Amino acid sequence: MTALREARCACGSLRLTAEGDPIGGGVCSCLACQRRTGSVISVNAAFPEARVRISGASRSFRRMGAESGMALTFHFCPTCGTSLWWDLPDVPGVIAVAAGCFADRDFPQPRGAIYFENRPRWLGFAEGTRDVVAR
Amino acid sequence: MRVEGDPLMQGVCSCLDCQWRTGSVISVNAGYPADRVVLKGEVREFRRSSDSGNEVVFRFCPACGTTLNWDLATPGVVVIAVGCLTDRDFPTPNIAVYGHRRPDWVCLANAIPEHFG
Repeated sequence: MTALREARCACGSLRLTAEGDPIGGGVCSCLACQRRTGSVISVNAAFPEARVRISGASRSFRRMGAESGMALTFHFCPTCGTSLWWDLPDVPGVIAVAAGCFADRDFPQPRGAIYFENRPRWLGFAEGTRDVVAR
Repeated sequence: MRVEGDPLMQGVCSCLDCQWRTGSVISVNAGYPADRVVLKGEVREFRRSSDSGNEVVFRFCPACGTTLNWDLATPGVVVIAVGCLTDRDFPTPNIAVYGHRRPDWVCLANAIPEHFG
């Protein structure tokens, strides 16, 4: 059976349902992701837009990644601030979801971790999540 | 946001609320005396009740959504989102909570004690 997973913002008014497993994703410690999450890693999962349904009000924020130079548009809940998903300009028809918003410890493990040079030394990952140099 | 001195305590949390707020699987947080934290710029507040029933007030940027800090049940203490400092040499967390919500692939240094309950 195809997995149906729900992600949500902190207050619960912005929600997203994703069908099936993510087609990509990873862990990122770029400075922009640290600022967005307030954590030292972001965990991201890519889904085809066609397999995602979104409900609730959102506001958008366009950021230029200081390190990647990539312009991304984030969509966040205006009530609590959680960024739930963002557009991937290089991959039409695919969006990235903030995987922590699924709050599911059994969510598929990310394979790669980028901008690991910004990650604190007290944090590492099990086999299966490799540090990789961002393109 | 600017903070002065070292934190009173710093920790890692994987409770559901922290995962929903950060969009990450861990939050990294540090407590400071309120008078050592200065917040500049426009702020919006989000209020929710904590597990212990206290009301927590989160302050976030209305333009991008980032939550910078919040109040703890302990009066006079402000908790900050450590990632916003983007400093990999920030003091290592001295406690990890809600470990049962954390995915198995996330490995914390052995020196960080897990607190259950």
